Amino acid sequence: MTMQHIYDAVMAYDEEEIPKLVQAELEAGTAPDKVLQEGMVAALDTIGERFSEGTLFVPEMLMAAETVKAGLEILRPILAEAGAKPHGTVVIGTVKGDLHDIGKNLVAMLLEGAGFRIVDLGTDVDRELFIDTAEKEGADIIAISGLLTTSMMEIDRAVHAITKANETRNLNIKVMVGGPPVNQDFASKIGANGYGEDAPGAVDRAREFTTH
Amino acid sequence: MTWTPRERVLAALNHEEPDRVPIDLGGTGASSIVIQAYERLKAHLGLVHETTVLSKINYLAMPDESVLQRFGVDTRPLMAPGRRGGSGRWLDELTYIDHFGVTYKSTTDTDDKHFLYKDGPLHGGKLTQDRVDAMDWPDPDDPGIFTGIKEQVARYKAAGDYCLVLNVPDQVIHRAYALRGMEDFLKDLYRNAETACYLMDRLADYNIRASENMIREAGAENVDVIFFGEDLGTQEGCMFDPDATYGRLIKPRHERIIQTLKSLTGGKSLFHCCGSAYQFIDHLIDIGVDALNPVQVTAKNMEPERLKGEFGDRMAFWGGINTQEVLPYQAADAVTAETERCINIFGKGGGYVLDAVHNIQFEVPPENVVAMYDAGLRHRYH
Repeated sequence: MTMQHIYDAVMAYDEEEIPKLVQAELEAGTAPDKVLQEGMVAALDTIGERFSEGTLFVPEMLMAAETVKAGLEILRPILAEAGAKPHGTVVIGTVKGDLHDIGKNLVAMLLEGAGFRIVDLGTDVDRELFIDTAEKEGADIIAISGLLTTSMMEIDRAVHAITKANETRNLNIKVMVGGPPVNQDFASKIGANGYGEDAPGAVDRAREFTTH
Repeated sequence: MTWTPRERVLAALNHEEPDRVPIDLGGTGASSIVIQAYERLKAHLGLVHETTVLSKINYLAMPDESVLQRFGVDTRPLMAPGRRGGSGRWLDELTYIDHFGVTYKSTTDTDDKHFLYKDGPLHGGKLTQDRVDAMDWPDPDDPGIFTGIKEQVARYKAAGDYCLVLNVPDQVIHRAYALRGMEDFLKDLYRNAETACYLMDRLADYNIRASENMIREAGAENVDVIFFGEDLGTQEGCMFDPDATYGRLIKPRHERIIQTLKSLTGGKSLFHCCGSAYQFIDHLIDIGVDALNPVQVTAKNMEPERLKGEFGDRMAFWGGINTQEVLPYQAADAVTAETERCINIFGKGGGYVLDAVHNIQFEVPPENVVAMYDAGLRHRYH
C-alpha cells in the first residue's frame, strides 16, 4: 500500500474505494497529514491544473472533490484528535441578488479538500451576514462570487463593507472575489485582496493568504 | 433592390451581404430585454404602452411593435403566450412550480429579481429509467404550446415580410439540470450515462413533438429560423468534455431535434450557447447549425476576429455586443464603437445578425440600447 493508491483513487473519482484505502493507510501507521497531503491534496492539485488547462471539466472536478470529501470523512476526526489545525477558515457564499452557486460550490469543495474549514452561507447572502459570520467564526477569508453582471455592483459594496469592518471592528479578514463577470482589473479596482480566475485559482489565493 | 427584413436576415445567414446588417430584438427568448431596462427605454424613447411580460421567471419584456419599428428590427418571434404549456403555478411571489414539477426560487429584497431552479422531481438518489418514466410528464400536445401562433403569423405577415423565428419551447440538458439538479446530472453523464441518455431522449421527443405542433399552426413555409440551444460553455472554457461528453452523449439528441425541425420547415438553425462555445462549434456545424447565439465575446476564445477567422465561412453569428462590460458600464459612444467593430468583423461577407449578448440586462442604460441599434441602422454594405 502506497500513497499512490490514494492519489489514483481520487484521479479515478472512486468515492467508494477511498474510505477503505484511507483506513488501511492509517492502520499501517502512516501519519494522517501525509495521507491528506501526499495522497488526496496532491491529486486534487493535479485535477485543478488540468481543469485550468482545459483538459478536465466541471463534472470531473465535482467528482474528484467529492471523492476527497469521502476520504476526509475518515481523516477529519483523526486529524482533529492529533491536534492538526485547519489551514484557515473561509466564509463563502454568493452575493445578494445572485442564486448561481455551482462555481461557489466547486470552490468550497476544493478549499475543503485542500484543508480549509468552510462556512458555506449558500446563495443570495446579505453582506452584513458575511461579516458577522466571519467575525463569529474567526475566519481568515471571506470568499464571494456572483454570475450576473448586476452582481458586480453588490460585490463592490460587499468588499467595501468588509474593508470598513476590518477597520471599525478591528478584524483582519481577507476578501477574495470570483465569478464570470469578475476579472483581476475589477478585483483590484474595488480593493479585493484576491481574485481567482477559476476554482483552482481561488485555492491558490487562499493558500497565499494563510501561509504565514 | 429593396430588401425586406426576411430577405436581409436570410441573406446574412447564407453568408451574403444584404443592404445593411440585419437587426434582432425579441426574436428569441434569449434576445429580449429585462423589464426594468425596458421601462427606462420606453421613457427615453417617449413611447407609451403597457409592457407585455414575456417571462415573469426571467423578468423579461416582449418589446412592443413601436420599439421594434424604431430600431428597424428584422425578426419576429413565434412563441405562444402559454409557450411553456401546462399549468405552472405560483406558491407565493418568490416560488414558482412549472409544468415539469420543477420549483424555482427567487432572490429576496432586490429590485432585480432572479429565479433559479432549486428542486425537481428527479432530485436526490440514483437516476433510473423507472423514475424518469414515473415522472408526471407534461403533454407536448397541450394547446398552450401552440394556441395563438396562427394569429401571430397572420399579424406579422400583414405588417411586413419579417424573418419569423420559431422558439423551440424547451431544452434538453438545461431541462435535465432543472429536473435532476445541475451537479447530479453532470455526474450522471459520467457515472450513469445510459440513464442520462434515456432522459435526454425523452426530452428530445418532447421538444420535437411540441415544436411539430407549433409548426403545424404556423405553417411550415412560414418558419424561417428555428431557435434552440443550451449552454455548453463557461466563462473560462467548456462545461464538459466537448468530444467525450458532448460529442458522444448530448450531440446525437441535439442533432435529432435540429435535423427533424429543419427538414420539416426548410428553416435555418440558430443555436444558443452561452459561455465559451469555441470548442463546440465544429460539432454544431456538423449537426446542421447555421448560426450561433449569443456569441459571448468576453468568454475564453470567443474574440470576434478568432471566431470569424476560424468559422466564418461555415457559421453565422447572432449577438456579440458585449453585455458583461460595454453595454452596462460604458458610455454610449463606446457602445457605438464596439457595435461598429463587431459589424465590421462578424459581418464581413454577411454572416452576422446584430444583437446584444443575451437579453439586455437590468442595468443597461437606454442611451446604450439606442446607440447599439442606431449603429446597426446606419450601417450600409455598399
